[in-house]
Amino acid sequence: MGRARIDIRTIVPLALLAVLVFGVPLLSADRYLLKVLTFVGVNVIIVTGMALLFGYAGQVSLGHAAFYGIGAYTSAYVVTSLGWPWLAGVAAAIVLTSVGGLLLALPSLRLKGHYLAMATLGFGEIMRVVFVEARGLTGGPDGFSGIPFPSLVGISIDSAGGNYWLIWGVVTVVLAFSANLVRSRVGRAMRALHGSESGALACGIDLTGLKVRVFVISAALAGLAGALYAHVVGFISPSTFSLHVSVLLVAMAVLGGTRSLAGPVLAAILLTTIPFADAVIPGLSRSALETIQEWQEDVYGLTIIAVMIFVPGGLAGALRRISALGRRAG
Amino acid sequence: MSLLQVRSVTKRFGGLTAVDDVSFDVHEGAIKAVIGPNGAGKSTLFNVLTSFDRPDEGSVTFDAADIIGWPPQRIVRSGIARTFQNTQLFEEMSALENVMAGAHAVTKAGFFSAALRLPWTVREERDVAEEAGRLLRLVGLGDWADSYAADLPHGLRRLLEIARALATMPRLLLVDEPAAGLNTAETAALADALYRIRDRGVTILIVEHDMGLVMEVSDEIVVLDRGMKIAEGPPRLIQKDPAVIAAYLGEEDVDEL
Repeated sequence: MGRARIDIRTIVPLALLAVLVFGVPLLSADRYLLKVLTFVGVNVIIVTGMALLFGYAGQVSLGHAAFYGIGAYTSAYVVTSLGWPWLAGVAAAIVLTSVGGLLLALPSLRLKGHYLAMATLGFGEIMRVVFVEARGLTGGPDGFSGIPFPSLVGISIDSAGGNYWLIWGVVTVVLAFSANLVRSRVGRAMRALHGSESGALACGIDLTGLKVRVFVISAALAGLAGALYAHVVGFISPSTFSLHVSVLLVAMAVLGGTRSLAGPVLAAILLTTIPFADAVIPGLSRSALETIQEWQEDVYGLTIIAVMIFVPGGLAGALRRISALGRRAG
Repeated sequence: MSLLQVRSVTKRFGGLTAVDDVSFDVHEGAIKAVIGPNGAGKSTLFNVLTSFDRPDEGSVTFDAADIIGWPPQRIVRSGIARTFQNTQLFEEMSALENVMAGAHAVTKAGFFSAALRLPWTVREERDVAEEAGRLLRLVGLGDWADSYAADLPHGLRRLLEIARALATMPRLLLVDEPAAGLNTAETAALADALYRIRDRGVTILIVEHDMGLVMEVSDEIVVLDRGMKIAEGPPRLIQKDPAVIAAYLGEEDVDEL
């Protein structure tokens, strides 16, 4: 048997996450806070896929909100309209987004250059129109309402705390698998192709195959997040899955930094919380919050610019420097 | 026995014929060199042999299989590894990780097994790390395992690339100008490393400008000039070949011949 080596870099963030997951609903009965943090968890799931795609495999997708949307509408439709169990809805969302991701990535990643970014941009716009126009399936611009809460073995998870636990449980599993992945042969191949494509070819790495697989995983994670979101919130509409959201997801990945999961996850937590700052900052005045929400885009923009200027390597770079300091001190 | 057979390979870029009807054999267990003035088509030839470029005409047979048109990763898996004239290291990875990446083609952990950290993947990973450490020591980089490739002194970067290529478990190693930019001591160390690699049963095809190194290590030499093969034979004969001397006339390397 191989010695199961316990890697401190894996254990510490996971332990912190576990404390967070199990702690918050016990410490606070604030439904608003729980809802905001649940939404943060949904974004963390998508950003984990973006971190693999952008930070490790070096590919840019401008259409991940579309996969998020496909996941949400798929699960909403099969559960609400067809009466499937919730888990089957989640599975359908994952399968459909994986297949969609494969069909989109295969032709565009065979070509050299930024075809994937272009293809995903176009795909996102097509899906935005589909979400609005396919009224029979999506409810059109008015949205899709009355989506039931997640339920497992016949028990509906309908409390804010229950939803919170569910989402962050999934987040923990997704992050644990991803952390394993990036420290494996596959993660090394991803970093290699990011470092030098010629070098990666000389190592016998199938560049196209690897990029396509990572893209499919990132699409599936967005689909999973969509399926979770739809049932936790109960209502979805096209604006939740617009180009704006795709760009925000890229911003999280960029702000988070490359070759890191923790950086993009922190970025997702930070950027998702900004418009709901009153949930985490007690006593924040109503007018201050309105100002933040009104200037949300600018706050995003300025945050990213500030990080790019003052924190080289993004949040991941900052984390690396902190852990290097910690090692020297220890 | 002939491990690699190159037959009438021609590669054109627009109006320029970079490799022109070149044929030669590489015998198992040998160190063979390809030399020639700048622009003779040596690196293009390497690119053809590793499917980085596709030839316009001709065939390349490796271990009795016609490998033209195979994707590069299949070439690597079949047992041909290469280094680059301009080193293509993974700068932000450690020397050890660079070599471990070279083992990609001969290891198995995939997305699912790696995400689940199945026990056999942990074992495989440990074996790969041990083998990578051995290869670093083989090329004399044992002390640099944890350094980032970007931090390696220039003279050692080519050795790291050779170690990475060896991690693919090749039967044929293509080395592109390994001595470029090396001082005398480093070149001697490189020659030793090449002998050690050959003694492990790896056949070597080397493109090189450094005549001292070529004449010392190679069993046989192919001389290219403007894409065409102008001579082939053991170092002693090549040194006296009038066509070779003529091709190098005016080149700085002529003194070394």
